[in-house]
Order: sequence, then structure tokens, then C-alpha cells
Amino acid sequence: MVTLFLLLPLAGALLALFLPRERELDARWIALLFSGLAFAVSIVIFVTFDPDQNGYQFVDQFTWINPSGAGFEVQYFVGVDGLSAPMVLLLGLLSVVAVLVSFNIDERVKEYFAYLLLLETAVAGVFLSLDLIQFFLFWELELLPMYMLISIWGSGRNRYSAMKFLIYTLAGSAFMLVGFLVIGVDAGTFEISALTEMPPQDALIPLSLVFWAIMIAFLVKLPVFPVHTWLPDAHTDAPTAVSVMLAGVLLKMGGYGILRIALPILPEQAHDFRFVLAAIAGFSVLYGAVITLQQRDLKRLIAYSSVSHMGYVLLGIAALGAVGLSGAALQMFTHGTITGLLFVMVGLIYERTHTRDITSMSGLMHRMPLIGTVMLIAGLASLGLPGLSGFVAELTIFLGAFDAHPAATIAGIFGVVLAAGYILWMVQRIFHGPADEKWADLKDANCWWEHVAMGSLVVVIVAIGIFPGIITDSIESGIAPIAQIFEANL
Amino acid sequence: MFLPDIPELMIWAIYFAPMVSFAVIACGITIPRMGFQARHASRLTITAIGLSWILALWALDTSIGLDGESAGFAPHEWLRLFDFEVDFGVQLDSLSALMMFVVTSVSLLVQVYSTGYMHGDGGYARYFMLMSLFTMSMLGLVMASSLLQLFIHWELVGLTSYLLVGFWFHRPAAAAAAKKAFIVTRFGDFFFMIALVLIWTKTGGIFDITEINALAAQHQLSDAVLVGFVLGVFAGAAGKSAQFPLHFWLPDAMEGPTPVSSLIHSATMVAAGVYLLARFFPTVEAAPGEVTTTIAYIGAFTAILAASMGIVANDIKRVLAYSTISQLGYMVMAIGLGGFVAAIFHLFTHAFFKSLLFQGSGSVNHATNTFDMRRMGGLRTAMPLTFATFIIGSLSLSGVFPLAGFWSKDELLLDAWHHDKFLWMVGTIVAFMTAFYMFRVIFLTFFGEYRGGEEVDVGHDVAGPPHESPRSMTVPMIILTVPSVLFGLFALNGFGGFIEGTLPEEIRHFKFHMDSVVLASSTLAAFGGIGAAAAVYLARTPKPEQLGRAAGPFYTFAAGKYYVDEIAEGGIVRVVLHRFLGRWIAAFDRVVVDGIVNGTAVGARRIGDIARRLETGHLQAYTSMSMLGVVVVIIVIFVLSGNVLER
Repeated sequence: MVTLFLLLPLAGALLALFLPRERELDARWIALLFSGLAFAVSIVIFVTFDPDQNGYQFVDQFTWINPSGAGFEVQYFVGVDGLSAPMVLLLGLLSVVAVLVSFNIDERVKEYFAYLLLLETAVAGVFLSLDLIQFFLFWELELLPMYMLISIWGSGRNRYSAMKFLIYTLAGSAFMLVGFLVIGVDAGTFEISALTEMPPQDALIPLSLVFWAIMIAFLVKLPVFPVHTWLPDAHTDAPTAVSVMLAGVLLKMGGYGILRIALPILPEQAHDFRFVLAAIAGFSVLYGAVITLQQRDLKRLIAYSSVSHMGYVLLGIAALGAVGLSGAALQMFTHGTITGLLFVMVGLIYERTHTRDITSMSGLMHRMPLIGTVMLIAGLASLGLPGLSGFVAELTIFLGAFDAHPAATIAGIFGVVLAAGYILWMVQRIFHGPADEKWADLKDANCWWEHVAMGSLVVVIVAIGIFPGIITDSIESGIAPIAQIFEANL
Repeated sequence: MFLPDIPELMIWAIYFAPMVSFAVIACGITIPRMGFQARHASRLTITAIGLSWILALWALDTSIGLDGESAGFAPHEWLRLFDFEVDFGVQLDSLSALMMFVVTSVSLLVQVYSTGYMHGDGGYARYFMLMSLFTMSMLGLVMASSLLQLFIHWELVGLTSYLLVGFWFHRPAAAAAAKKAFIVTRFGDFFFMIALVLIWTKTGGIFDITEINALAAQHQLSDAVLVGFVLGVFAGAAGKSAQFPLHFWLPDAMEGPTPVSSLIHSATMVAAGVYLLARFFPTVEAAPGEVTTTIAYIGAFTAILAASMGIVANDIKRVLAYSTISQLGYMVMAIGLGGFVAAIFHLFTHAFFKSLLFQGSGSVNHATNTFDMRRMGGLRTAMPLTFATFIIGSLSLSGVFPLAGFWSKDELLLDAWHHDKFLWMVGTIVAFMTAFYMFRVIFLTFFGEYRGGEEVDVGHDVAGPPHESPRSMTVPMIILTVPSVLFGLFALNGFGGFIEGTLPEEIRHFKFHMDSVVLASSTLAAFGGIGAAAAVYLARTPKPEQLGRAAGPFYTFAAGKYYVDEIAEGGIVRVVLHRFLGRWIAAFDRVVVDGIVNGTAVGARRIGDIARRLETGHLQAYTSMSMLGVVVVIIVIFVLSGNVLER
């Protein structure tokens, strides 16, 4: 089942590449079909996943590399638990949305959709891998389609931004690889669950260094201050669908990696450095929010707000308690849907106005009430309005983190006030005010794919806001074993 | 009392009826195929809220039968996530039953009034959709049994206030006012949220309001926790109930349609802060004395500050807005002084007469197309019904015997008299100012010569000489005069005992009595204020202009709203946050943080170039090189590590 989810997009990518040139546009339908099938599979996985059962479910495992006498092997080992199940669902959903908002791509269509589907497979591999080396390979595989998508179909300084994204991630993952190898070689296995059961006590280099080597890759991806500057550039110059994927799922690879690998395998080191992590988190929230207030480019505004909001993920993680960790996992999911929707809306607005300069737009509500309303809902979710999903996640994080890190938590709560500031300012400038003659010809969202892309994300955001239980049961079962490590030993 | 006890499901129905109306109208607006028409929206909303009103009456009847004590419905699970366990339920006791009655009554009348006031507006259906959502949220707020449930609806009423203040979003002033209202109240909610997180952490995961109150009353919470919690809750209340220094959003919120002001910014939402403090009254009482004294003094200061601004404002709605702030200050002062019954009683009577006064101002606006009193005058002949009801509302607000406002204000001043003579003096001065500014409004608006009104205003199609408003507007106003006149008499009829039913028995100490000094001085203040207003604005001796000149800088300060807006918006937000902090941090991010990264990259590339003398200039080449490099590194390390282990 899980392998099917992993391979479906890849199959779609290959199929799209083999389309004859005159039927190039059919690549859209192939992409929609295969990402849709993958989404269906992810729903099946999420629904049939049993939160009361321990360990991984839907496991596929076989040995892949077995160097003779080396004492360890590299496996193909995939499966889901309560932590990855929501991530898989999120990926399935956002991939369909990304395909839909790409329906009017007209340049090198086949390659575009092939890369987009390859990206889905790569990210799926990261969320599903239960072996460190395999995890690393998928982590690196994701770079290729991202680089191509930004540099070929991007705008502005697209090559610079793509390069920056690449170098940043590569630099981080070089450290990560060293960390993985040190741990794995020492323990004689790269299996995450085996390493979790017997955390390394000692290695070639001090374990605290190993911890930071691994963390640096994840913190770059998350991203948090001071390794965040690739994000606004990448977002600004990427095409809409890539922004959706980037904010929606790629950033979550960082938080997921911390929860899946860094904390369970190196719990003592995480505990030692929890105050450092909390300080980075609290600072990132405020720093990101204050810079967001300064942005005039719509995409940069949302990109910097992501820096602020991903700080919450790290804050929940730094609490090292069941509630805080759950909040972090929940925030990853909700931020994925909310910011995904925000970028979808920015794309729709940009397509119509051909500008992202907030100060040059006004009164758009008169021309596009539907886009305006959905943008408002997404913005309200982003500023943590109760009844929408962001609130539940942020509150969970605050509750979980306050005891351990009161100052960082209060900083985080203040970030919510600043979020109200930048979101409402943006809404006021773009949508409110008298109707502007300049925009008299704009059309509201009118294609079916636009409606489906917006509608599906709105439904998810509202549903989780009102019934968070639909997702928290799974998260609880995923977080429980991690939280136990910290409760039992530290 | 008269009926069998209300079942829990019926209380939920009070909440769900407007929710259904909201949902149906929302679908009707989004899906054109449903064939939904604007007039359906108002009918649906009125029907739903009418149903809620009937059920709320039933709930009130049941609560009176229980002497105001909690009906004790068990809550229901909402979320289970490790220790984060939340149950939502309905709290039926004197406080919530009374509030449900107030909210549904005023809301129902305002909806009827709105069918006239909003007639022909392009956003008619959207308006009623939002009004349904507001009524639902407000009911959810007052019936909540859990602090988190209360907080969720607290934010939702804030949202609907935002959307309704900015209802005419094409007007830049309305859009700005909406944003300001949301952000200022959210600043208060920042502290509220800290209080919420604090109490959950320190009680080991309790959100249930009754349990928190019980823990506080049994002295199981440390003073530090109590101080933090009560001050946090108070800051949230100060944001919503527009207490100094977070009061300055409310006058701007008058940019919304007038029925919205009548419902949200006078009777219900702005009173939510007082309700919140009353809900946690046992906890507030358990907090150290300095905390309650602070609350009382902030309330009193707000009362007199807002009254002084009300005296000089020229916009009839803004006078009413300042009056609302001032009266809310009274209630907050009463809570701080331990006057639980007085605060709630005043909240109760104020809701009706202030809603009435706002509807009167809307009726006047409907006729003249302006809110500027300098362009009104002489309307008493053209609008006799509006005039008569406005007089009744003003007399009640001024505290003239035997109208409702008299009784509740008297309770308030009596509490102050017993606890703090200075605050009693402030309160009495405010009573004088209240009567003065209300009758200033009456003389400017309804007496003298008509000064022309205004030609164009958005959302209305009225022109020509002033005329009485349609029956859909005057009937709600006439109905509202009944509670404005009579509801004070409940004071003689066990209101205090009923309301205290929600409190634990140890802190019930209300006993109805009167004090001749308080009575005489407040009556004197009321008539003095009316007389002074008559002298200045009717007889024009001294002339108002002379008075303004005589007051000199005081007048300038009050007319400039004490420059709180400028300090908060211009000073703190624009200069500190934007110019100073924001710009420097953004520059730091661009130049330093990003600069170091780019510098490193450039430096590294230079070194590489020199070493290898291999500059192709193609980014793809670099990419594939580095990808290749990584793969090579992987393989090498693999082989090496295997060898290491073999050795």
C-alpha cells in the first residue's frame, strides 16, 4: 500500500515524459490522474490506519544493499505510524492541489508535470522511510525537481533563488549524512526503530556534535533564524504550485525529521539543548513576524510568515512533552493546508493582476468576492482564529511549552498578535477600499480546477478547526512513543 | 418556575438555531444555483433568533426556578490529546440565563430594525449572515462551561465585529476601523491567552470555569498564579469592553452600520468583558486586594475619561460610543469593588436603553443622512416617535427616578460609597457628565432649527426633508422603551438574590437597601446635568463656544481624544514597530544574515575556481557537479566504513 503511494507519482512522471509532443497538454490529465490516485491511496492509508496499534503499519521491507561482512545493511523499509500518516495525507492532498493550480502552464508542459510528480515521490520517500540511508537518499532526491522547477518555470531571479535553495539544503544535508553515518556505523544498523530502542551512547565524535550535525539540516529546512533566508527568495521566484508544495510539505520535512530521527535517537542531547532550541524558536517567531510586517510583496509576506509559524513547530518540539510534541505535529499539518491555500490564492491573484506589490492593489473585493473571501478565510486561519485549524495547533503548542519555556511561549503568543497585524493589513490593502478602475476587467475564480483547489483546502481547514479529533487520534499514537522516551528517562 | 425544567438539548438549540441560519445563508450566497434571495436572509435570521429567544425565556424560567444555581449539565468531550483534554458544555445558571435573555432579546429587535435600516443595501444577505454568526457566537460565549469554549467564542465575536464594522469595506475609514478594532482587542487577548495557558498549566489541565473558581475560592492557587490569571483575564476584558488604555477602537467602530453598533458595540459584545470578569468573580475575589483595586480604579478612570470625550464629540454615534465606554467603566469599577450584583444589574439595564439610543441615532441618520449633530436640529416635530423614545432612553441612562438606569446606577454608587468614597465621588461626577452629554445630544438634535443634513451617504437612498423612519425601525424602538423604563424595578423583586445564585454561598452578601446621601447626590447630579445642558444648548447662556474657550487646553485635549490614538497608532505601531524595529530588523536580515550566507557562497566559489581553474558559468553544471559529489561521497564513505569495521 505504502509502496504504491510512493510509486504512483513516479509512474505518472515517466508516463508524462513519453507523451508525443503534439499531445503535450495531456500531461496535465496524467498528472491529475496519478496524483489523484496517490491521494486516494493516502486517504485509504489514513482511514484504515489503526491508532490503537503500536509500531508501524503497512510495512514493506527488504534488504537493498548488504555489503558482505560489513556488519550492517541498507534496507528498503517503508511504513507509516501516527506521525507519518497525517503527513502522507497532507502530501497527497497538496499534490493534487499543486497539479490543479498548474493547469494553465504552457511551457515545457511534459517536463513540468514530470518534475512535479517526481517531487511528490521524493517527499513521500522522506515521510515513509524507516531507514536512515534511504531517508537521506529521498531527502536528496527532492532537490533535483525543486531546482529545475524553480529555475526553469520560475520568475524574477529564479536561477539565483534555485541555486541558493540547493546550496543551503546541500550544505545542511552534508552534515546530516555525516551524523547518520557516525551513528549508523557505530550501532551497526541504519534502521530507525532499532536505533531508537538502543540510543547510541558514544561515537567517533561527541554525540552532541552529531545531534547538531543532524539538526542543522532539519533547521535549514524548517526553516528558523538564522538559516531561513533561502525561503523568501525561493518562494518569491517559484511558480505557484511549487510554492504550494514548498510551504505545504517541503518545510514539514524538517519538523518531521526532528520528530522522527533527532529526538528518538538522540534524546539526551535533545534534552541538554532544549533551552537553545526554545530560544531559537521564540526568537524566530518574533523575528519572522516583525519582518513580515515590512513586506510589500505578497509572496514574500507569506514566506516570512512561514518563518514565524514554523518557529511554533520548534517551540512545541523544544518542550519535549507529549502535548508540545503533538502540537508541533499538528502545526505542521495545519500550516501545510493554510499556507498552501494562501499560496494558491496569491497565485490566482497574481495571474489576474500581474503584480504582487500589495501597495499597488486595492478594492479587489469588488471584482473577485470569492477569491477575496477565501483569502480572508486562509488569512484568518493563519492568524490563529478559533474555529479554523491553526488555532488548535498553536494553542496545543502553547499549552505544552509554557511550563518548560514560559518566556519563549509568551513570545510565541505575541507572535499571534503580530500575525493579526500583517494579515489584516494585507487584506485591507488588497481587497478593501473603493473599486479601482485599473482592475475593472478582473474576473473572479471561474474555472473548475480553481474551485476544487480552493474548496478542498477550505474544507480541511474548517473541519479540523471544528473537529480536531479527526487528526489528533493519529498524532497521539505517533507522538506517544517519542514522549515516553522523555518521560521515562529524563 | 412556570414551566418544566428545560432539557439540555433545548439550550444547545438556542445556540444552533442562528448557526443553521448562518450556514444556510452562507451556502445561498456562495451557490447561485440555490436561487436564494436577499429577503430570505432576513426572514431566516429573524425566525432563528426568534426561536432562540423563546427557548432563552424557557431557560430563564428554569433558572429562576433553581434560584439561579447551576443546573449542572455534564459537559461533552471535544478533544483528547494526552493531557490536553477539553470538554464543552452548557452552563445554565442565573448569569448565563440572564445573558441569553439579553442577547436574544436585543438581537431579535435589532434584526427587525435592520430590515428597515439596511433595506436596499447591496450586501443585505451578507449582513444577515454575519448577524446570525454574531448571535451564535455571543450565545456560545455566555453559555460556555469551559474557559476554552468561552475563549473560542470570544474570538469569534471579535471576528464578526471585524466583519461588520468593515461591512462597507469600500469606505477606507470603515476598513481601517475594522482592522483597528480587531488588532486592539487582540492585543488584550494576548494577555487573556497567557492567562488561559497559565491556569491550565498550574491547575494540571483544568479549563472548567466552575472548577477553576472552586480552586481559587478554596485558596488552592498561589497568589502569583491568581495575580497573573486575573490580570490576564482583565486585560482581555479591557480589550473587549474598551477600558483604558485599550478603549480607542470603539469610537472608530461606529463606522459600521448603526444596527451593528446597537447590538454589538453597546449591548452585547462590549459587555462580554464585564461578563467574563463576573464569570470568574470568585477567582477575582480570591486575588490579592491590590488587583481588585487596580481593576476598580481603571474602571473609574475609564468612566470619567470617556465621559469627558463624550461631552465634546459632535458625532451623535460617537457620543453614544463614549457613553458606552463610560458605562462599561462603571461596571468594571463595580466588579473591582466586589459589587457583583450591581455590575450585572447595570449591564442588564444598560443593554436595553443603550441599544434603544443607538437605534434612535440610526433613525435620525436615516432621515438626515448624517451623524454630525451640527447639521441636525429641530427633528422633534418631524420624528416624534424617535424623539419620544430617545428621551426615554436618555432619561434612563441619566439615572432619573424611577427608570431602569436609576436603579442600577444607584446600586453601583452605593457599592462605591461603602468601599471607597473617592470612587463614589468620581462616579457621581460621571453621573452628572452623563446627563449633560445626553441632553446636549437631545437639544442639538431635536430642538432648534433644522440645519440641513447631508446629501449623500452610502447604503441609503434617502433625500429631501427629514421624516419619521418606517415602522420596522420605530416598533423595535418602542418595544425597547419598556425594559428601559421598567426593568429597574426588578431591584425590588429579588434580582440580587437570583443573580448571586451563581456564586458560592460564602461570597453572597447582597442585600437590597438604599442610602439617602447616595440617592440624593445621584439624583441631584442627573438633574444638574440636564439643567446645565439646557442652559448651554437650549437657552445658550453661556454659549457653548464660550464654554469651550474657557476650558481652553482641557477642551482641546478632550476633543483630541487625549491623543491616545496618535500615541498608540502613530507612536507605538508606526514609529517603534515599523520604522524603528521593523525596518532595522528587515535591513539586518537582508544585509547581515543573508549577506553572510551569500558572502560564504561567493567566497567558497572563488576558492574553488582558483583551485580548479574550472569556471563554466553554468548553474546546471554546478548543480550536477555537486549532486555527483554527494553521490561520490556516499559511496566512498560506505566503502571506507565497511573497511573500518572489518579491521
